[in-house]
Amino acid sequence: MIVKLNHLNGKSAGARAQVVVDTIYSLLEEGRLEHEQFARLQIELDWIQYKQNFREVVIASQGYTPRGEHLPVLDVLVDTRQVEPTTLRADMLKALARAGGPDRSQDAGDPDHVMLEEFRSLRHSIVWEFNKLYWGRLNLWQAATGKGYEEALPGGQSDGHQPESIADSVCDFWTLLRDLESQNQLPAEIFILELGVGTGTRCGIWLDKFLALDRIRETNYYPRLRVLLGDYSLATLDLSRPAVREHADLCSFMVLDAMNPLKTLSFLRHKILQVHSTNVYDNLPDEEVVRRDGRLYFVQVRSYIPRAEAERIAVVFGVKVEKLRASMHRILQGGFEDFGSVQQGVAFWQEIWKAIRLEERLVLLEDLPDFPFPEGLDASKLDDILQDAPADIRFHLSSGALESFMNTMPLLHPRGYLQVQDIFVTDISQYRLGFYGPGKLEGSLLNWVNGALLKGVAERAGYDVHFVPFRYRKGSKTSVLYTTRRE
Amino acid sequence: MTLPLLPTTIVGSYAMPGWLERLKTDYFARRISRHDLEEIYDSAVKAAVKDQETAGLDMVTDGEVRRDNTVDYFIERLPGVQIDRSSKKFYYDFYDSSVQGKIPMASLGLVQDYQFLRMFTERESKFCITGPHCLTKRIRNSYYPNEEALATDIARVMNMELKALVKAGARYIQIDEPYYSGFPEDIHWAVKVLNILVDEVDANIVVHICYGNRYGKPSWEGSYRYLFPAIMNAKVKGLTLEFARRGGEDLDLFKEFDTKFILGVGVIDVKTHEVETPEMVAEHIRRALKVLPPERIFTLPDCGCFHLPRDVAFAKLQALVQGTRIVRKELGK
Repeated sequence: MIVKLNHLNGKSAGARAQVVVDTIYSLLEEGRLEHEQFARLQIELDWIQYKQNFREVVIASQGYTPRGEHLPVLDVLVDTRQVEPTTLRADMLKALARAGGPDRSQDAGDPDHVMLEEFRSLRHSIVWEFNKLYWGRLNLWQAATGKGYEEALPGGQSDGHQPESIADSVCDFWTLLRDLESQNQLPAEIFILELGVGTGTRCGIWLDKFLALDRIRETNYYPRLRVLLGDYSLATLDLSRPAVREHADLCSFMVLDAMNPLKTLSFLRHKILQVHSTNVYDNLPDEEVVRRDGRLYFVQVRSYIPRAEAERIAVVFGVKVEKLRASMHRILQGGFEDFGSVQQGVAFWQEIWKAIRLEERLVLLEDLPDFPFPEGLDASKLDDILQDAPADIRFHLSSGALESFMNTMPLLHPRGYLQVQDIFVTDISQYRLGFYGPGKLEGSLLNWVNGALLKGVAERAGYDVHFVPFRYRKGSKTSVLYTTRRE
Repeated sequence: MTLPLLPTTIVGSYAMPGWLERLKTDYFARRISRHDLEEIYDSAVKAAVKDQETAGLDMVTDGEVRRDNTVDYFIERLPGVQIDRSSKKFYYDFYDSSVQGKIPMASLGLVQDYQFLRMFTERESKFCITGPHCLTKRIRNSYYPNEEALATDIARVMNMELKALVKAGARYIQIDEPYYSGFPEDIHWAVKVLNILVDEVDANIVVHICYGNRYGKPSWEGSYRYLFPAIMNAKVKGLTLEFARRGGEDLDLFKEFDTKFILGVGVIDVKTHEVETPEMVAEHIRRALKVLPPERIFTLPDCGCFHLPRDVAFAKLQALVQGTRIVRKELGK
């Protein structure tokens, strides 16, 4: 058995780890855990920093072949933040049974869980439909909670709005323009793209500062700016308009897919001088991969609601438990009125989202070349990148972020650059130190971005990627990714 | 061999298969031997030639599949250039290289590549080399007083190599100078060096000038106007320029300046995986015909196909051939 003690918080960390080990041993001695299982068991103890997440106290992930045959790989994940010594044993037994222990088939389903879907990649899970709904109906969610989504962020506001950071960004960009002009290469139209607009505040401040600098230095670049504000939510774009009102003549608002800006903006291939995004990558569909004993396993998930929670929600909203799944789909299609009133529909949405958990299983990646890796990544590249990574590790594929990156870079002018403020795992071994999502933030879903993998992919596509810690707010977990051309 | 009107060819490189990239990396990691790698290269060259022939090109190259990038294949053959062989992370990276003394005259050993190509095709063939201006930009100069002096000596060595290629039967030679566009201020001395390179080389020589294709992306933007009038002093038969991606605006330079050059018109955009239709290709050629007679035009992609997947590269070459045939038919040929 291997026990991994990831970052554990608080004075009780040692004691809680001990309780987990004691519990496992007692299960072994009682014959509730087989010796072979025990020998291959890997237990990870995490401290989940997101109070709202998809985990039970204990979850167990059994290994399977793609044909559903049982493999002797079993991971047990324990959230020490939630551990209660008195119930741990029962939680552990339940998790092991669910994972497909000796007397259960993998798809039997747990009577204590109300299933919302079948096993699939996290990327294709229904939880991303909820994420999409949140951004599409942000106004409804905010009206119900009485607070904007930025107030839910750890610092109470987005790092994207930090004035000093924006001022530095403006200076860097102005310097680039000056340099291009000195080489007689400054285009007549200067395109910049804000990918994911948020409230529009950052873009508004950026333009204010750029205009001021341009006037002081008398360079007259400002009128040549063409600012594209791109977001996949029309509602969000509308909310951002007031923030850039003063610069309306320069701005174009575009509905676009953050994972494929090139699809909408192909007419600007090789023309955009700066692309910026803040906290977009951490909100793009993602999935996880486990490397164990030299083999790769794909983490498949199945969303559910704990039956006790489902029964409670059913009573509150006057819906039968067996109809919850259908009611949830109506909400995802925007049918809030079906619950008597929009407010009641939104309340149902919020309760369901809060209750959703994920079961998981590990499926062996047998035939790597056929696995649908995101653009820019294939089995051989992944192998290369993982060459120096720890042997047993679970990490994000960050497939949405990778796709976005690969479909954004062709838009850049030869001297253009991409700047991304986000939460990055910058060294793959960091995955051995803690939990990096998925978590819930209000109605959205949050994953740290595997920056180490993104860097490896970028290098092979002709870009060096650099990460700089965000130095403008103490305690910020944000890093800034920026690209330089690889020669 | 007589070429038809509007001959079709490629710029030099053909698609680099993913499996060959991995094997090159395996060689650097010492997992396969040099001997095995050479056999793999031979097979890859034959496959690249076959693809070009099947697509219908009139003039083929060896696909440059033996080369890691535009530069290193020549730098590691240039006498007197010191290379840090540990400086590559990926095979495609450039070596760190330097000159610390005068470059001696010695063969680069390119003739055997040409002879290998000739063994496996009946079509007209073209041999491509990277020019001294580009090579000079990638070598750290610790000896010569300036870049022009270094480039001049490189040109002298390569001139000897070009003569050897002609002696071996090469009739069409292309010199790649992708860095002209990045350093337009060099153009006057770059043309002088070019003339040293081609001095008394009895072949049809064209110069390929693009806006860069590193990692399948342009390195610079701008207009070919910087080439004129200096390039008119170049003692070469023609130029090959990129027009598909950038549009045909710069074709008007050939109306404005009375050159005698033949022009290789880039009619395939190699920086996108979208495959052109034959009609799109034909439209590019018709645009070129407004400024030059058909006898002075040949058609090819904007730049090398190195970064394209093989199926995409092949489909693009087929479109190139079909589009050119449409225009030949319109011209009654």
